[in-house]
Amino acid sequence: MVRFRSSLLPEALHTLLRRPGTVQYPFGPAELQEGYRGRVMAHGERCKGCSLCVRDCPAFALELERNGKEHYRLIYHPDRCAYCGQCEQSCRFDCIYLTNEFVPGTADLETLSVVLVDHKPTGEQGGNGAEEQGR
Amino acid sequence: MRELLAALFNLLIFPGLGFLFVCAMAFEWGDRRLIARFQGRVGPPWYQPFADLIKLLAKEDILPNDAEETTAAVLPMLSLAAVLTAALYVPVAGYAPLSFEGDLIVVLFLLSLPTLAHFLAGWVTVGVYSILGGNRSLLQFFSYEVPFLMALSTPAIFNGSWTIAEITARQTVWNIFILPLAFLVALVGLIGKLKRDPLDIPKAKSEMVAGPLTEFSGRKLALWRLSMDMQTVVGVFLLVNLFSGGASMLAPLAFVFKALAILALLSTASVLYARLRIDQLAHLGWRVLAPLALLQLLVTVWMGG
Amino acid sequence: MTKVTIPIGPQHPLLKEPLSFLLTVEGEQVLESTLRLGYVHRGIERLCQERTYVQAVHLIERVCGICSHIHTTTYCQGVEALSGLQVPPRGLYLRTFLCELERIHSHLLWLGVLAKNMGFDTVFMYAWRDREIVLDVMEELSGGRISHAVNVIGGVRIDLDAAHTRSIQQRFDELERQVEKALALINNEPSLKARTQGVGLLSAEQVARYCVVGPVARASGVDVDLRRDFPRPPYDQLKFNVITHPAGDVWARTLVRVQEIRESLSLCRQILAQLPDGPTSVAMKRRVPPGEVVSRSEAPRGEVIYYIRSDGSDKPARLKIRTPTLTALITLADQLRGVNVADVPVVLSGVDLCIACADR
Repeated sequence: MVRFRSSLLPEALHTLLRRPGTVQYPFGPAELQEGYRGRVMAHGERCKGCSLCVRDCPAFALELERNGKEHYRLIYHPDRCAYCGQCEQSCRFDCIYLTNEFVPGTADLETLSVVLVDHKPTGEQGGNGAEEQGR
Repeated sequence: MRELLAALFNLLIFPGLGFLFVCAMAFEWGDRRLIARFQGRVGPPWYQPFADLIKLLAKEDILPNDAEETTAAVLPMLSLAAVLTAALYVPVAGYAPLSFEGDLIVVLFLLSLPTLAHFLAGWVTVGVYSILGGNRSLLQFFSYEVPFLMALSTPAIFNGSWTIAEITARQTVWNIFILPLAFLVALVGLIGKLKRDPLDIPKAKSEMVAGPLTEFSGRKLALWRLSMDMQTVVGVFLLVNLFSGGASMLAPLAFVFKALAILALLSTASVLYARLRIDQLAHLGWRVLAPLALLQLLVTVWMGG
Repeated sequence: MTKVTIPIGPQHPLLKEPLSFLLTVEGEQVLESTLRLGYVHRGIERLCQERTYVQAVHLIERVCGICSHIHTTTYCQGVEALSGLQVPPRGLYLRTFLCELERIHSHLLWLGVLAKNMGFDTVFMYAWRDREIVLDVMEELSGGRISHAVNVIGGVRIDLDAAHTRSIQQRFDELERQVEKALALINNEPSLKARTQGVGLLSAEQVARYCVVGPVARASGVDVDLRRDFPRPPYDQLKFNVITHPAGDVWARTLVRVQEIRESLSLCRQILAQLPDGPTSVAMKRRVPPGEVVSRSEAPRGEVIYYIRSDGSDKPARLKIRTPTLTALITLADQLRGVNVADVPVVLSGVDLCIACADR
């Protein structure tokens, strides 16, 4: 008889009477924390084209295309990105940052090259990355 | 003509194939859901066992080169046929149209066929995990079967009949109160027969991948799983009849509750213990269960059954 | 009886990472085993030579998923020593806080995996449910549950405020209760003890011969813990016990690890209580002066050693990593000899394999 006594029974009964610890995503809520390292975006107007973020990215996910001193574009590849936040750390002008948006997988190659900053010489500024992303 | 229709109804609808199928799906769902809730998870929706079966029927059916195809195809059908036949003689809420004198022994023999088929399945589909799993299946069979048979014979001796319907009808007080040791041994034996946790040694996922059934897939695996689910149902019904029988006005409802209670006991046992090793099971079977069953048998005989 | 060769891996339900064991089995007894590694070798040491020190931090984090923070900690310690940087005390405390949190999460994960391989699914579910508390804290602090990216060369880049500290302390209360229940279970549950006692024996003499480190060594009675033997700040200001057990079997390792969770919880509480004010990091120079350094720290699985050689440029000239799982893997040949086939999962899980660490 002694063999059948279980020390797990109280905990098992306690767990039975509580709500389950799992969430049936996507039919249930799944909120990410505020500081979660998700999609990379940039404030295009603050970018100076110094390429510190490009140099420090460990996954080579950022590219700076130059066409002269005032004309440059910053391209970001979400598939190469490791979501480590080094670019946000390296940027000295508070330009590039990570949101807490989860980046889902995609089969659309167009969405894997995102233009974050489009700096033109006549003062026109490009978007901050939100326009060019397909879903 | 009427007799033919009645026989067909009994065989195919109730308490035969259709009823058993629905019960098998319901029992598997209830078992998985209860275990999940014990573990803090949500558990599958009600149609999950049925969906699993349909999915398996649609998968590719492939065996290794050296396997014997015909035997491998026959074994799951044999297992299913044995379980279905045994189910015909187990009364459901007092309704036992096909019972005859001494059908308890026939049922117990029929119920040991699926285990032997399980072991043979491992040998026939050659593969390292299959053969080792088959060996363990046979070792497990030797450990629990004798105490199980002794424990299930005790109500027969006590109530003075080898017909299940009669044993059920003759209980004035439920046998579970008069023969508690027999119930305990029968429960553990049932866990071993159904190869549930903590006695799922032949199909231990972390050691033997899936035991004797490793190489099965597609329709054959669907039949195996169906036969195992139905074995659960028949085993539970058998325990309900032998240990908590008795006629009453609320027979169907009471039957359902009793069956669910025994299923809940089985699920709880799955949750609470770690898997035993095969030598620990042999130790348990022969040094603990068999003496208990023997003791209960002797007490029953002495009480004048 | 004929001898059968059972392959455990590279794909097997028992293994979390690919590893190949060929067991020669007779009946139910294992006679010999052959080990093959390298299925997850990614060449991280060589890749680091092509990246700058700053980029290499993130690559090092991906050597292992479970002990990612301790790898970056050891690496950053080494580079800071080469550059002559002094990390401010607040940075050191926060770094250590995350190290201890990682130890808790690693041991809880291991407990679940051991239980699952033993057939005890319930304990697996409970241990991983309690691990969620730790993962939530780590996600709030650093933005990721497994990859923290907290370390920079020169300190850390996260910070804690008082309200956050209070909420963390509350969750630690709940975790402490669950750990006590787990300890009671390990001490009292007969089926668990029957599966783990007397299995996977390692004597203290074998531990010394194979240079085993970590909880496996401590469970054989060898008293070695880098946090106490070579205390770097802030460990010199924190009080904790080093848990050992003389038995040397899987049960002893379970006890050691779960009690270590308790010690780590107490360490975390002390860190939160004693957190000094100040900056969390100092600026680093891009080029590291030439030299070589050996940096060590106590990972959840034992002592991890980093050798870094710098030639004055902004890329490491050579990086060599010695992870603790490698020492434990070598002992498996001894542990698996003569053991029951049913004990193989228990033995393999008891050693707490992290093949990604071993293969790099």
